[in-house]
Order: sequence, then structure tokens, then C-alpha cells
Amino acid sequence: MAKKSIDWSPENWPSLIYRLFTSFKVATIVFVLLTLITLLGTLYQVEHGLHAAKEQYFYSWIIVEKVGTIPLLIPGGMLLMWILFINMTLGALVKVRKRWKGLGLLVSHFGMLMLLAGAFITHKASSDGYMALYPGMKSNRVESYRDWQLEIMPLDDQGKAEKAWILPSDELQSIRSDEQRKYETEDLPFGIVINGFSQNATPIPVSAPMAAEAQGKEIDGFKLSQQQASKNAEQNLPGCYIELRPESGDPIETILWAGSFRFDPREKPMPFTFEVGGQKFGALLAKRTWVVPFEVQLDEFIFERHPGISTARNYESRITRLEESQPEKPVEIKMNEPMRYAGYTFFQESFGPQGSEPGDEMFSQFAVANNPADQWPLWSLVVTSAGLMLHFVIMLVSYIVRSFSTKPKAATAS
Amino acid sequence: MMLASCNDSDMGPEGSDIVVREIPDAHRDFKLVDTSRERFRYQTRPTSSADAGQSTGPRLVYATPKGWTDEGRSMMRDVNFSFGENGEGECYVARLPGAGGGLSANVNRWRKQMGADPLSDDEVFALPKKKLFGQPATFMSVDGDFTGMGASGAQKDYRLLGVILSADTGAIFVKMTGPRKLVEANAAQFDEFVSSLNVTTGS
Repeated sequence: MAKKSIDWSPENWPSLIYRLFTSFKVATIVFVLLTLITLLGTLYQVEHGLHAAKEQYFYSWIIVEKVGTIPLLIPGGMLLMWILFINMTLGALVKVRKRWKGLGLLVSHFGMLMLLAGAFITHKASSDGYMALYPGMKSNRVESYRDWQLEIMPLDDQGKAEKAWILPSDELQSIRSDEQRKYETEDLPFGIVINGFSQNATPIPVSAPMAAEAQGKEIDGFKLSQQQASKNAEQNLPGCYIELRPESGDPIETILWAGSFRFDPREKPMPFTFEVGGQKFGALLAKRTWVVPFEVQLDEFIFERHPGISTARNYESRITRLEESQPEKPVEIKMNEPMRYAGYTFFQESFGPQGSEPGDEMFSQFAVANNPADQWPLWSLVVTSAGLMLHFVIMLVSYIVRSFSTKPKAATAS
Repeated sequence: MMLASCNDSDMGPEGSDIVVREIPDAHRDFKLVDTSRERFRYQTRPTSSADAGQSTGPRLVYATPKGWTDEGRSMMRDVNFSFGENGEGECYVARLPGAGGGLSANVNRWRKQMGADPLSDDEVFALPKKKLFGQPATFMSVDGDFTGMGASGAQKDYRLLGVILSADTGAIFVKMTGPRKLVEANAAQFDEFVSSLNVTTGS
């Protein structure tokens, strides 16, 4: 039998695209590739940590994997999941023949689409950060674990500032270590030039032996030594060379390092200070922050150690939740009992400062997560399971009905 | 570039590079420091036992092992000891902020000084641990011909003992070098010294 030829004319393209995206073969290939990148991502995570693995394999459109010296292009998790979403929407919900026998499968496919949609919402709309408080302190501000930004602020003589000009973390952290980028704003009397940004770095005094191996310019007796990024991205302390170019006069160069920010909620950040046009300014690498719609006041931090050793046995926080036009609400946050409120979840995460001895005042640190789709995996599982159950029941009923209806015929035949 | 006003979060409208925001009251205070050393936390290093009485800040305390001579601080070293008949053995404590150059890089820098081949990250990770300031720190012992900083030639048949602790706020190094037999005879004192190191505050 002669093979039917495909009509490649432009008029037929929509039909061809529809056929491609509703193809069962495409879905199979996507599942195979998703299995492959899950395997590669898991192996990558061992070496580079969870955050880097997610960025490299699951949030990407294309992955460049090297086999020996040959680069191999593999579709990234984002691309594959979009194709799967379109394929399932068109193939399993739109194209499929609607009949009562297929109802269960229709529901289970809808559950899987919910899972994909939930993953996308989590990727785009979720946030995670932390809030660290000493007893008596209150705050509504959450700090990012990993996102560092450049802040420039006009300072008074006491080191106070009311406003900060911010180069956001997405922009700053996209600068390579060998790249130069320039920024200007009408409100600041100088231009800003970033001469290379390192995700993890240490300023080394030129008198130290390891300074000999550090690349980069020596400024004020220091070089910025680039470090291998940590597996745990939150442990990285980035650094950069920065140049401030006033409209008149010599440019001002310095090294900015994230270690000048704070390691303790009571610590004051230490900006690089300089003067332009008689105004003192500070420049600092600081963590990105955002606010939650209520304040948390730490009333008491309870920390229990194992007898005779400094290891923590239990720690929990007693807080008061403060919100405008709402009564004050006392809440206990324990290791496995987070506070869930207004879409945010506060987990008891850790404590500090490091090396605290019994009797020392300690701060409590909460992990603060906000994910509008955090229950979607559960609901999608429920929907998918319900769909499959329904399908099994339909098939069973159908089989029983068919069996009964065919029995008399079988008896006659025998 | 576009300047855009922003509210409570440090995120600008799409397409802008620099955004401006009000600093919340609780975060308006900054510490003004004069030098990069302070800004990079080199000035906050604890003073040593030898400086006791001269400072009211954090102070490094330790037990001086028997037969060792405390040589006091130097520019990059918080504690300096010499030992042996002619003071040919030395032991010191140094501190760097951040990762201090990285654990593997430092282990291999010391191995290179002893003429030994570098170790892979996995091999460095697998090195034994000793407690330093109550934390598990990487311990290394290398035999070989030692070429110190600025030395013109290698000193034969030496041993290096080192302990490196990498913490969030900095890295701490304890290094001991000397003729192999002398270091071997002082290994227990090295352990005693490492476990005695502590930081105390106040005068």
C-alpha cells in the first residue's frame, strides 16, 4: 500500500502543528527526556547543590551537556514541561473523543495538568527567605538567602540613610566575573561601573600568601579572590570591583564584598563610604528584602541543649503577630509546627550567633515561605487518583455488563 | 537608564535597572568604617593571650604547650610559637574572612609547600577531622621537603600538621612545621594546643 504523502503547504501548517502537539509519540519522547534530565540533574546536584541543579536542568529551556569535548544540546526542563502541558491539553482534553468511558482518564489528565501548572506557579510566584530576630525585636521584612543587590545610599555624619538606590539582584548577579557594565541614574551625581561580579569571593590582603594566586586589581591593599561557588547557594558571599565616576574629578574604585553586610540581626552593615559634591555616600552589597503584610515580634526564644554538650535538643519561639486593625495574636513556632498565615509559612529554622554558650543571648531565625501553589501537588494527586479510580470502576462495570450480556449467547453456542 | 520609584520590596518595574526605595526605620543605621581592613572584618580579629590586659575586645585564649615559646602576634598571624632546641619548629594561628581562599586550595597550597601532589575535592573532603573551637575542622599531615614563603631552598625531611576550619564568617588556620622527628615528638602538644584554643570576651 502506498504511503500517504504529507501536505507541507503553508495552508496546512496549523493542522500539522496541531497533529505534532497532540501526538502520542511526542508525549512519549518528552517523558523519556524528562527522565533523562531528572537523572542528569540528580547527578549534578551531588556536585553543585540543589539550587544550581534546579537552575541548570529544570528551569532552563536548553541544556548544553558536554560528552567529552563535544557539546550536546538537550531540551531543558522548562521546554519539556511546556510541550507536555500543551500536548496533554490538546491531546488528552481537546482532541480526545468524549465518551463516558473516557471520563476517568479525562479527570486524571486534568490532575496531571494541575501538577504542571502548580510547578509553574511555584517557579514564578513563590518566594523563600528568612527573618532573624532577637527577643524584643519585631519586623515585617524578609531577607533572601541567595539574592544580593548593590545599594547606594546618601549618608549623614552619623551613618544614617533614608533612601537607597538599588541595582536589583537579577541584574547584578547576571554580570560575569570578566564583564564590565555601566549604570547611570539622573538622581545620583556619578555613574556606576561594575568590573566583574563573582558569585563567591573573598578579599585577600596582598600580604597573605594566597593573594599571589588571586586575579584582579589590588585596591587599598586587597585583591578579590574568586571562590568556587558553594553547593549551598546561601553560603556564597559574592564580591565585585566597582568604580564610581563623578561628572568631574577622578573615578573612585573599590572592592565590595557581601561579608560587609551583617551576619547577625543586630549588626550594622559596613558600606564603602565616599564623597561626591560634598555629599557622603555609601555603597554596599546587601541581601534583597521584601515585606510580609504583618509584623512578627519575638517575645521569647527557648533553647534547650543536651546535658553536658552544646548541641541543641529543642528550640522554639514565642511570638506576637501584629497586624493593623487586628488584635495581637500570640503564636508558638516550633520545629515541626510552623505558623501559616496570610499565605506565608514561618518555620523555626535555626538560631545564632554561631558558637553561643549557655547564658548568651541568642536570636531565632525563621524560614519564611510563600507559595500560592503549595497545596497543588496534593490536590493534583487527589484528582489524578480519583480519575484513575473512576476509570477502573468504569472499566469494571463495563466488563461486568459485557460479561452478563454475552453469557446467553455463549450458552447457546455450546 | 530609567529610574523608577519602588515601594516596600526591592524589585523594580520591569525594564528598569536602578530602583529607589525608602529604607525601613529599623535598617537606617550603618556602621561607618575608615579602612577596607575593617570593612572586610580584619580588624575584628581577636587579640591573643599575649595581649591580655591591653584590650577589652574578643580575646583568643589558649594553653601554651610545654617547651614552646610564644613569639607574639605578627601581621597575618594571631599566635606564633617556636619550639625545638634551636626554634626550628613553628606553629601559628591565622584567620581570614569568608572562605579564606577555599579549603581545597589551602590544603593543596600547603601540600605544594611540602612537594606533595594536590588532592581532589573528594580527597580533601575525606581528610580526618579535629575539633577546633568546638567545630569539626579538617586535619592534614604531610611529610616532605618544606619550602616556606620566601625560602630560597627546600628544607629536607620535614612534616607539616595543619587544621583548617571554614565557617560562615571566616576561615581559621593552625599550621605546624618542622623537622619530621621534632614535629612527631610535638604532635601531642599540637593536639593539646588546638583543643585549648578558645575566644573569650571582656577584659
